[in-house]
Amino acid sequence: MKKPILFSTLAVIFLMMLLGFSFLAQSAEKPIVIGFIHSMSGAMSMYGISSEAGGQIAVEEINAAGGILGRPLKMITRDDKLNAETGLREAKDLILSENADFLTGTISSAVALAISNYVKREKKIFLVNISQSSSLTEENWHRYIFRIDTNAVPYWGYAPALALAKKWKDKKIVSLGFDYETGKNSLRAFKEKYLELVPDAKIIDELWAPLGTTDFTAYISKIANSGADAFFLSCIYGGGELAFSKQAYAFGLYDKMHAIQPCAGDIETWFSVKKGDPYPKGALATCRYPFWAIKDPRSKQFVEKHNKKVGFLPSYGAMNQYLIMYALKAAIEKVGAVDTEKIINALEGMVLDTFVGKIPIRPYDHQAMMPNWYGVMDFTPEFSFPYITKIDVIGEEGYHTVEQIKKLREGK
Amino acid sequence: MKSLVNALNSNRFVLLLVLLLFLLIVPLIMKASWVSLVNEMLIMALAGCALNLMLGYTGMVSFGPAGLYAVGAYTTAILLTRYRFPFAIAMISAPILAGIIGGLVGWFCVRRSAVYFALLTLAFAQIIWTILFEWYGFTGGDNGIVSIPIPEFFFTISHCYYLTLIIVGISLLLLWTIVQSPFGKTLQAIRENPGRTEFIAIHLKRYQLAAFVLSSAFLGIAGSLFCVFSGSVFPDYAHWVKSTDMLVICLLGGFYNFGGPIVGSVVYILLSKMISKQTMFWMFFLGVIIVFLVLFMRNGIVGFLSEKLAPVLDKTSGSGPDEGTR
Amino acid sequence: MNLVTFEAIAGQTLSGISVGMVLFLIAAGLSIIFGTLKVLNLAHGSIYMLGGFLCYGFTSTFASVPGVFWWTLLAAPMIVGLVGGLIEIFLLRRIYAQEMLYQYILTFGLILIIGETCKFIWGVGYHTVGAPWPFNGKVSLWGLSFPVYNLFLIGCGFAVFIGLVALMRYTGLGRIIRAVTYHREMANALGINVPKVYTGVFMLGCWLGGLAGTLMPPMSVVALGSDMAVIIECFIIVVIGGLGSLPGAFIGAIILGLLTAFGIYIIPKLAVAFAFMLMIVILIIRPWGLMGKPE
Repeated sequence: MKKPILFSTLAVIFLMMLLGFSFLAQSAEKPIVIGFIHSMSGAMSMYGISSEAGGQIAVEEINAAGGILGRPLKMITRDDKLNAETGLREAKDLILSENADFLTGTISSAVALAISNYVKREKKIFLVNISQSSSLTEENWHRYIFRIDTNAVPYWGYAPALALAKKWKDKKIVSLGFDYETGKNSLRAFKEKYLELVPDAKIIDELWAPLGTTDFTAYISKIANSGADAFFLSCIYGGGELAFSKQAYAFGLYDKMHAIQPCAGDIETWFSVKKGDPYPKGALATCRYPFWAIKDPRSKQFVEKHNKKVGFLPSYGAMNQYLIMYALKAAIEKVGAVDTEKIINALEGMVLDTFVGKIPIRPYDHQAMMPNWYGVMDFTPEFSFPYITKIDVIGEEGYHTVEQIKKLREGK
Repeated sequence: MKSLVNALNSNRFVLLLVLLLFLLIVPLIMKASWVSLVNEMLIMALAGCALNLMLGYTGMVSFGPAGLYAVGAYTTAILLTRYRFPFAIAMISAPILAGIIGGLVGWFCVRRSAVYFALLTLAFAQIIWTILFEWYGFTGGDNGIVSIPIPEFFFTISHCYYLTLIIVGISLLLLWTIVQSPFGKTLQAIRENPGRTEFIAIHLKRYQLAAFVLSSAFLGIAGSLFCVFSGSVFPDYAHWVKSTDMLVICLLGGFYNFGGPIVGSVVYILLSKMISKQTMFWMFFLGVIIVFLVLFMRNGIVGFLSEKLAPVLDKTSGSGPDEGTR
Repeated sequence: MNLVTFEAIAGQTLSGISVGMVLFLIAAGLSIIFGTLKVLNLAHGSIYMLGGFLCYGFTSTFASVPGVFWWTLLAAPMIVGLVGGLIEIFLLRRIYAQEMLYQYILTFGLILIIGETCKFIWGVGYHTVGAPWPFNGKVSLWGLSFPVYNLFLIGCGFAVFIGLVALMRYTGLGRIIRAVTYHREMANALGINVPKVYTGVFMLGCWLGGLAGTLMPPMSVVALGSDMAVIIECFIIVVIGGLGSLPGAFIGAIILGLLTAFGIYIIPKLAVAFAFMLMIVILIIRPWGLMGKPE
């Protein structure tokens, strides 16, 4: 090997980088830049694409109406590849290279935690639109993080507990969850609330499957033999949930006992399921954006625009990203400038006027009190896929109280 | 020592000096995001060179370097977060623990060779991943460890960059010394012909284990640096896909060459960044590049260039007696 | 809790066998490819995923055709086999003489290519395929409802196993393949067209992977990411059973299936690690696996 080659090569490459850097167009000072980091490739990319669409719809509407304080809004999308390192790298690039004023997005809680940690140092605001881990706004909270989305505590825990206590009050429950932190926390939250409401109930068994399992045969037969009145799914979502539902349906599990399947309410999983196909029959499910039950015409417009943009119906991520854009608009206009510290103060306690109601952002944890809906899974002629019917809603009571969060933060 | 003297005398040293100077002034001439990128490249370059000690020099194909890299990263992370050790101690413990674990893992792995060795390294790396992922109480589980209390001084990217540069520089110097030493020559002999080497009374397994341990220790340093750089650690640092990234870096640059992984790291990180900005299907293009690489540029970039430019440069500079490889 | 009732044990055993058969169907192709070609095909999971997507593609496009699933079962694996053939001829052939590392990285590149192609053609959503008639009901065994399709899969697993063993042992083609496996140079010297056999075996391996991929959607889901999820399990099975040994892969798969089914009773947390530890133990004490041959 010839050493000069090595070093010349390295030198040339570094030179190229230098030239590249000097020719890079500087991002214009004028637009307000919002960085959007999400899973745009891989298994969860449906949510990334949907959320991006929701954000872009807001950007187009806002710019058509003159922008914010006369400045256009610009959203830059980056792919985190469902990987915390990559997400962090993109976050750094967005803030350091693209001069992003705000960061938004993420579906993976690990990515969200990494970015949250980073923005704390950089003193920029990060608004989460999907990542569910409650620790983001509870134990690991800091000034610069906001979440305009529900979180794992109500969605996977308190809401199903409240719903079950209202509906069936089952006494013997067996749980099955994905074996990771959010899964464990979700079950804990569910147990906490449910056993408070129905004290003589018992979780007779807790089963855990490795994250990413798609063959639940062994778990289903154990559940079927457990003698429980109901089973509860803790954090089994997406492809895994679809597989589980098919298998459980084929085993006749939904006829054998009650099903509490929180994630089933989110329709993205069921797009390809038609009447007659296996689905979580009669399951009690929670949902984050049941647009078919929302009367506000702005919601209907949003659904249409999203469908036109990407060819499928909106996920809750799209709605949340849309709301994030408008929340920032309201805060910036209130403050009169893009001043991070003042905008944080403006956002705390702000009541968002959304098409799902008036939603306050709680100052203690910067968590928007997004409602959680629940209902029973069924087919109706309105859609080709199954969704929740007989809908009811749970609001602020689904979240941890400020006292509970205080204890968690101190315990840390 | 002689090799050092020779190196000092040649043109190569001048080029090396120029490169070093360039690296020193990077934070002054480049934007913060590029400094961050070069920082990452340096860390990956060290990881690649560490892996290459086993791969290119000893001929041991490991599918699980990321496991030891993660051990280094988590050691620093846990010592800083959980036990509030002083920063320097937390950092120096990384290669020590990675070396120890490397020794344990390596002891089992070197019992076998070739495919079986590779699969063993893969299995061990996945076990490390599983432990990191499951042991929430100690390692933070799938959430990893964030908000690691590294000294405020290193929050500034240029300070962190210089720390990386110094440590990577020293590590690479150490690695260079190792491969140039008689020990290093023995490793290369093992790569070329294990049977014959054993015949001249070299205890094969002991050398292979030594290479494994050293490789692990340097991987640990790289992991520890990344922990400081990003302020957080995740189980995926140990995942087999990350191991494959490291293998690709070595292959891309050329693993019959000390500097190969360095070139590989720069190009790989640059490429992934550029392509992923352009298209949603960037992984497709990365796959095509990898396939192309394996088919047509097996000796990596450095190997490819040296083949093509060898006739030209043979006239302009002599190759020293210490160039022992390809 | 019905821990030790007969129904519970029987139920879990049947489930374990079902899980194991599914794994065997996927791993069989990998086993054959490694046995004869000595190639560690990381992209085998992607081949499997491709089969799944093709299954979904055909059954949804031609949904009105009666028995569409069975036609798909005929066509999709063949297409996957053809793709395998192309891969072997244009890509793998060039690097047989090289070290295993190159094959590993090349097939890793293929994972990315095939995965993104699937994403490009079929998008990012999850897809499902209904269980085909006449296997779309349930049957009652020991008081437990068991889906008929799962029994069908168990049957397929056995059929594939017996078919392959018969092929290898009792047909001329099988003899040729075995000859090339045991001693490539000799087979070549005897006039066997070794490159063609290699291509054939690789195509067979991919056909098997595609078959598994086509059989799976009615009981599971077609989604991006299933390639990565499945490949490590395949490696574990093939190592435990013995690289290149088909009966070994069969046994390894059943072991893994039962381990999963009963592991969830004991310590689910470490069930995943158990599989790796078993793999390590085998690699150290008996690297040719339970049923392979020492080299």
